[in-house]
Amino acid sequence: MADNNILTVQGLNVNYGDFQAVKDVSFDVRKGEIFGLLGPNGAGKTSTLSAIEGLLKPQSGTIMVDGYNAQEKPLHARASLGVQLQSTSFQAELYVIEVLQLYAGVYGLSLSKNDILAILRNINLQDQAQKRFGELSGGQQQRVSLVIATIHNPRLVLLDEPTTGLDPQSRRQLWERIEAIREKGHAILLTTHSMEEAESVCDRIAIIDHGKIIEIDTPQALIDKHRNEPEVIAVSRRGRITLEDVFIALTGKEIRE
Amino acid sequence: METVIPKTSVVLSSLLRADFTTQWRNRRAVVLTLIVPGIILMSWKSLIATVGGPFVLSNAITIGLFASGLMGYSNTVARDRDKGIFQRLRVAPIPSWAIMGSRLLVQLTMIVLITTIVFIVGKNYDNITLSPSGYIITYFTAIIGGSVSLSLGQMIVGYIKNPETVNSTTRLVYIAFMMTGIFGEMYMALSKDKVDEIIAYAVQYCPYGTVKTILSIGMEPAKWNSNTTAALLLTLGYSVLFAFLGIKWFKWNTK
Repeated sequence: MADNNILTVQGLNVNYGDFQAVKDVSFDVRKGEIFGLLGPNGAGKTSTLSAIEGLLKPQSGTIMVDGYNAQEKPLHARASLGVQLQSTSFQAELYVIEVLQLYAGVYGLSLSKNDILAILRNINLQDQAQKRFGELSGGQQQRVSLVIATIHNPRLVLLDEPTTGLDPQSRRQLWERIEAIREKGHAILLTTHSMEEAESVCDRIAIIDHGKIIEIDTPQALIDKHRNEPEVIAVSRRGRITLEDVFIALTGKEIRE
Repeated sequence: METVIPKTSVVLSSLLRADFTTQWRNRRAVVLTLIVPGIILMSWKSLIATVGGPFVLSNAITIGLFASGLMGYSNTVARDRDKGIFQRLRVAPIPSWAIMGSRLLVQLTMIVLITTIVFIVGKNYDNITLSPSGYIITYFTAIIGGSVSLSLGQMIVGYIKNPETVNSTTRLVYIAFMMTGIFGEMYMALSKDKVDEIIAYAVQYCPYGTVKTILSIGMEPAKWNSNTTAALLLTLGYSVLFAFLGIKWFKWNTK
């Protein structure tokens, strides 16, 4: 593994019965970068993330997180990861402050009530401390999920479609928080359906389709590489070639379920 | 920089605090699980002279254990699994056994609590008292009996993914056990005619019957005999079988 890599995925294969969801996927995420994993619905994004998180057992392949083999030392790998799942939920009976206390403990942190309140104040949720997670708005829930994902200062943060269902203000705020996480030196691996956001925020992206990675590069390099291809020009609608045009040309126009 | 794995004791205490808080906030549901044992203790008062105090207490505890293990434990696990709560915990550096271990410890406390409440109501309302050894042995047999209801709940939640179906199935099984307990055991205890042998075996050696037997005889240790030993072995066998299937079938998510 190169010293600069916080995550290395090599030859990853994930099956669901006879269906192969992830086929020989290889990529790496470098320290301090935001890496986007883009693909249509059912392309294999979440399966790839789930394998990295240890929620799925891959058929083959190697996953190294911060130097730890995720299959051989899963707890070490998971201790280095901060994770925000696609649909995160916490115990309905617990208040927000108690959810934070639970996850602080689960990551081995001894935080006082005042420490937790300070964290909530930092994300403008100090007034919601005694509310249940389900009583928060979508944007507030995302902020709580993100702060829990980073509460233990992980070296790599995995975000599965973090902006889904958020209004523009909440999305903007979330991206600012994600960039702030990166500025602290953390690497971020995220999936998103928003090509505009990926183009503006991600340092590098991988496009995955039918379980295979078909491109990895910086957004601009991908645009430059494909801008003169007839398929890309044919789908372009804005007078200039965007990452979305390249994405549609590479993955097809048909709607995936 | 070396990655530090949180100590299991710290992780477990955090999980326990959250799970006990959850249980406390669900205290209305806990009270509901005590309704049927309460009805047994009150409505069977006039029968105590005929069937004996241990018979009434053991039925009340058995029904309480099955209500808690079947309807409480399995429904909470099914709901949390459906909402992805387990998956969120599993991406943290927690051994999987700690997630379930914490919940089982909470249920163990519930078993002790149910048994204690039945003892208190039995003593104060029905004037049923046991010897000190009877009380102590009953706590042990209640834990062994509670393991049957918990493992049966685990088996149901392992086999069925949909939380609504888990809920309806556990209610059906619970009603079946109530029928066995309230009607079957009562019929056998009060009937002057010889009960059909197959029915007698079914009532005596079904999970409800074995749990009720070890609880009942545990309250009067002097009456322990080979039938009680057989009931104890069967209770342990049921627990192992249900737990084995429950763990084998269990999936952490519903997708």
